[in-house]
Amino acid sequence: MASTQETSYQEPLLEISGLKTVFPTDDGIVNAVNDVSFSIARGQTVGVVGESGCGKSITGLSLLQLVPSPGRIEAGEILFYRNGGDEPLDIAQVQPKSELIRQIRGNEIAIIFQEPMTSLNPVYTVGDQIAEAVALHQQVDKKTAHERAIEMLVRVGIPAPTQRVDEYPHQLSGGMRQRVMIAMALCCSPTLLIADEPTTALDVTIQAQVLGLMQELQAEMGMAIMLITHDLGVIADLADEVVVMYAGRVVERGRVDDIFYNPLHPYTQGLLRSIPVLGRTVQKTLPSIPGTVPHPLALPTGCSFQPRCPERMPECEQMPELEITSDGTQAVRCWLHADSAT
Amino acid sequence: MLASRRFSNINRKLPSTLQISQKPVFDNGENRAETLYLKNKNMKLLQVNDLRKYFPIQKGIFQRTVGYVKAVDGISFDVQRGETLGLVGESGCGKTTAGRCLLRLIPATSGSFIFGEEQVDLAKLTHREMQPFRKRIQMIFQDPHASLNPRMTVADIVGEPMRVNRTEKGTALQDRIVELLESVGLRSQDMRRYPHAFSGGQRQRIGIARALALQPELIVADEPVSALDVSVQAQILNLLAELREQFNLSYIFIAHDLSVVEHISDRVAVMYLGKIVEISDAETLYQSPQHPYTEALISAVPLPDPNAQRKREHIRLEGDVPDPSQPPTGCYFHPRCRYATDLCKQETPKLREVTPGVQVACHHSDTLELQGV
Repeated sequence: MASTQETSYQEPLLEISGLKTVFPTDDGIVNAVNDVSFSIARGQTVGVVGESGCGKSITGLSLLQLVPSPGRIEAGEILFYRNGGDEPLDIAQVQPKSELIRQIRGNEIAIIFQEPMTSLNPVYTVGDQIAEAVALHQQVDKKTAHERAIEMLVRVGIPAPTQRVDEYPHQLSGGMRQRVMIAMALCCSPTLLIADEPTTALDVTIQAQVLGLMQELQAEMGMAIMLITHDLGVIADLADEVVVMYAGRVVERGRVDDIFYNPLHPYTQGLLRSIPVLGRTVQKTLPSIPGTVPHPLALPTGCSFQPRCPERMPECEQMPELEITSDGTQAVRCWLHADSAT
Repeated sequence: MLASRRFSNINRKLPSTLQISQKPVFDNGENRAETLYLKNKNMKLLQVNDLRKYFPIQKGIFQRTVGYVKAVDGISFDVQRGETLGLVGESGCGKTTAGRCLLRLIPATSGSFIFGEEQVDLAKLTHREMQPFRKRIQMIFQDPHASLNPRMTVADIVGEPMRVNRTEKGTALQDRIVELLESVGLRSQDMRRYPHAFSGGQRQRIGIARALALQPELIVADEPVSALDVSVQAQILNLLAELREQFNLSYIFIAHDLSVVEHISDRVAVMYLGKIVEISDAETLYQSPQHPYTEALISAVPLPDPNAQRKREHIRLEGDVPDPSQPPTGCYFHPRCRYATDLCKQETPKLREVTPGVQVACHHSDTLELQGV
């Protein structure tokens, strides 16, 4: 297993630019992910936040060439700086069924999903499933792989791991299953873990356990985490950088404190205002965002958020660019801030 | 029959002193009211006493009962008129089962629910006697995709309760449907469309319109916003609050999300393994919890505020919620409680009033200094 990486936020791991993932449908082409750009540094946690249908999950799947058919990556670059490689690899150019992407999946970039019951195979023991991932990527015999599986179960804090390793997914609780998923994802010490709504199906106290575990393992193993969630609380808890998505596009990105204390995009502002916060004086009405998320086949002209935006202006009929603010740490896609760009 | 129903409608709107003296009328004409009718009247809309729901565990070819899952294990609470009571807890704590028992969608094992001015015990009514009360207690469901019939138009869905109960017909029914749709923020032309044409938030509005159709007094809302997106969730919460004012409704709001419950509730009951561990007004509960489980729950909610989140002490509960068919001895929470003593292992604490309006089931609540938000 690789030694713990020196965590330096400057060293890039993944640079996504202009990523566009499309789904051709009978009614037209859905641009699920449209011109998405952001980067993830080694050891960093990047939170991707947005409502359902905003393209956050498809962005995660695109990074592993796992976009379900008939979807495909149409444009853009996903530059992946592999360990020991000088030149970054453009994952967007790799064939989805190639040997190369299979070496990366689960080995260098791992992914965990929302519902741990459906992502585990019910007819194999959890030990077999973890050992399979180990055997696939590392030249070890069955016995070593099995021992490695037990070792991983210990690391994710499963009690009585020597017994649990021979149990089936249905014998475990939801929190335990998600721990097994994490064990499976981390057994090959990936440099990036994509966590797609990892705690949404879990209760709050179990969510706190799993989030705590992810933080501990990150400190220990030094992997970067791309955390996809709709829960701004989870983002505030874990993320270093935040990417806010709306209708397939990045509307704002920046450091976690900037996004929460100085949101620039009206959508980010609205989102933060509309959530009830524990312990805040109970307000009679929550300032909600009017309307609903537009249908992906009937996006409004110009800025996708403009029909719901309280600050709508004539310029909003044109799509603004994602522009970096003058201090260089935050980027926003809004005409209100177009002139403040460098 | 019709006249008496009109009477009861009038009665609901009058203050209790002005009310026309009237005994509850049952459809079968039988007067079981004497035994059910309790004299003293107050502002309590619903009083639940020692509600229990045990599901038998059956094994073998003879389906012998080998044990019980005590989904709801003796809970008592009341709901005042115009009040929202939040029922919060983790999955499997029995909050949904409690809600369903109240509507008699599933029969309760034991317990009584004293409802309305008439002080009728709903748990003792026959199916037929229950019918007039069903109008007065309605439910909003969690999943707006599953709770609307895809083959019915919105007008059919919202109009069905009124057709079944024969409260309105013909153009009056149509007018009432339009009125209901408008009161939940939908347009009248939406009534000819089918549920699939609506987004999750709009579907939930249809479900709310249906619940309002019979002018209920109490609405049991079971996780009404947890399937919705963040920006839509706020709209529905606001709508529920508005409707409460407009129609003088009372809610039992069942949810797992503590911040949502805090926002909408006047009082909150926290459940753990089928029991209420703490019940008090929302502000007190969140600012100074009295039960260690409440404290842990509050601490587990990540705040959407990075600085506050870094500063907070995080209480991490070990392990999972125990199996409700084999609950621990003593206090059900003791295996996960960081303050547990030997007493907690042996004796089950009773829910008792510690300060006016604050009830808690903990042996050590007097000595513990627990953290709120």
